[in-house]
Amino acid sequence: MTYIMCLLLFGLVVGVVAVASNPSPYFAALGLVVVAGLGCGVLVWHGGHYLSLILFLIYLGGMLVVFAYSAALAAEPYPEGWGSGEVVAYIFVYLVGVVAVSGLFWGGWYETSWVPVDELGEMSVLRGDSGGVALMYGGGGGMLVVGAWVLLLTLFVVLELTRGLSRGSLRAV
Amino acid sequence: MSPMLSSTLLFALGIGTTITFASSHWFLAWMGLEINTLAILPLMAQYHHPRAVEATLKYFLTQATAASTLLFATTTNAWLTGQWDIQHMTHPLPATLFTLALALKVGLAPLHIWLPEVLQGLDLGTGLIMSTWQKLAPFALLIQIYPANSTLLIILGLASTLVGGWGGLNQTQLRKILAYSSVAHLGWMVLVLQFSPALTLLTLLMYLIMTFSTFLAFKLTNATNINALATAWTKAPALTALMPLVLLSLGGLPPLSGFMPKWLILQELSKQDLALTATLAALTALLSLYFYLRLSYAMALTMFPNTPTGTPPWRFQSSQVTFPLAISVTATLMLLPLTPTITALLTS
Repeated sequence: MTYIMCLLLFGLVVGVVAVASNPSPYFAALGLVVVAGLGCGVLVWHGGHYLSLILFLIYLGGMLVVFAYSAALAAEPYPEGWGSGEVVAYIFVYLVGVVAVSGLFWGGWYETSWVPVDELGEMSVLRGDSGGVALMYGGGGGMLVVGAWVLLLTLFVVLELTRGLSRGSLRAV
Repeated sequence: MSPMLSSTLLFALGIGTTITFASSHWFLAWMGLEINTLAILPLMAQYHHPRAVEATLKYFLTQATAASTLLFATTTNAWLTGQWDIQHMTHPLPATLFTLALALKVGLAPLHIWLPEVLQGLDLGTGLIMSTWQKLAPFALLIQIYPANSTLLIILGLASTLVGGWGGLNQTQLRKILAYSSVAHLGWMVLVLQFSPALTLLTLLMYLIMTFSTFLAFKLTNATNINALATAWTKAPALTALMPLVLLSLGGLPPLSGFMPKWLILQELSKQDLALTATLAALTALLSLYFYLRLSYAMALTMFPNTPTGTPPWRFQSSQVTFPLAISVTATLMLLPLTPTITALLTS
């Protein structure tokens, strides 16, 4: 379904422009949610369904949530959205840039290069990374255990670094 | 910091280096390096003053950049060659990327700028861990990168010895001096990496022993700048008598052990027909020697003006354990006659 891929990629580029145009972090995080969500869609259409699920969980559900909490520590009364002057200027410049660069990559073999190779009759995606996932849990199980232990260590590291309210390392807490 | 937490962090430091040493998969090696970075962060920020927190942040940002470059090189290598083995690399592009990432991790010039500021923000004990233990894992990987980019390694090496010598000349803070000394020694290690990795290991081990002695000696006399060294003789006269020799060993003078790596490296470089490189390296080592001499001068070769109550050694005996310092100072001064044995051990 070329049309779905077209929608996903256009939405992704618009989302990236929304992030890069330098609004307040709260709005930029919203742009990042859009980018990551649509990027996960692109991943699914290229066969990486497991990777896409993990990206949703960890990136959006873990890291972006933590970013939101950290940004809330530095809250400001008048955040700059996408209506304020400077941000609109950035958006305009980036959109012009996108149009210019897409003019370079127009037509010919470029148009068909981002269509997924294996399309089935119904709307179903399969196969892409099932073998890889099996290998990761099977042969790479030890590394996953080490990874889990490292996450526990990171928890203790972060707890120790932020301990002590304003007498500790972070004066904003 | 609670003993349970600090023992967990030190244990994690050990595990990280061990994992990197024991790995043949690039991803596992990267994980070991990340464990090391994470585990030392609370140790660096434990005193919570702004300078220490700033040093922790700078360290974290540079090490994260280096680790992501390493991960990028790993995935590029997997993409181009189809396998993840550390010892079976065939493509020069990922090899160059790996070298640059590990150079940033370790603090080689021109990627050294973070090192003096970070070391300056730490107390002497944590600075010791950062200067010695954290260099082991990246070097374990650097030694295994083959084919190495020959020009890059020589540029990194010569730039580091030059910057390490030149940058340390205007410093009065001891931790910054030791940071620039670290950069210079890392330069020597990387110069000979492509010709004889055994000599790189030898230089690394000798550097570890000498820096260990220096940091512990400064910790014992609680000295953080050159002025504090001037009254060190009243606190520990025997140590003050030996410190010039330790510093001259760092500078690479015979008959002290520090001469061993420099001598063998210059010999290897001349055997490889790199006389100009060898001469440049030797000349830049003179710059480092100047500030080591300045430290010896302040510590033991001059008696600075002092009050009558400041001079007699009436201090209580220090509660710090001095046994490791005794062993490392002996090794720093006396290991040169063992050069054939050590060379045979490392090249077997």
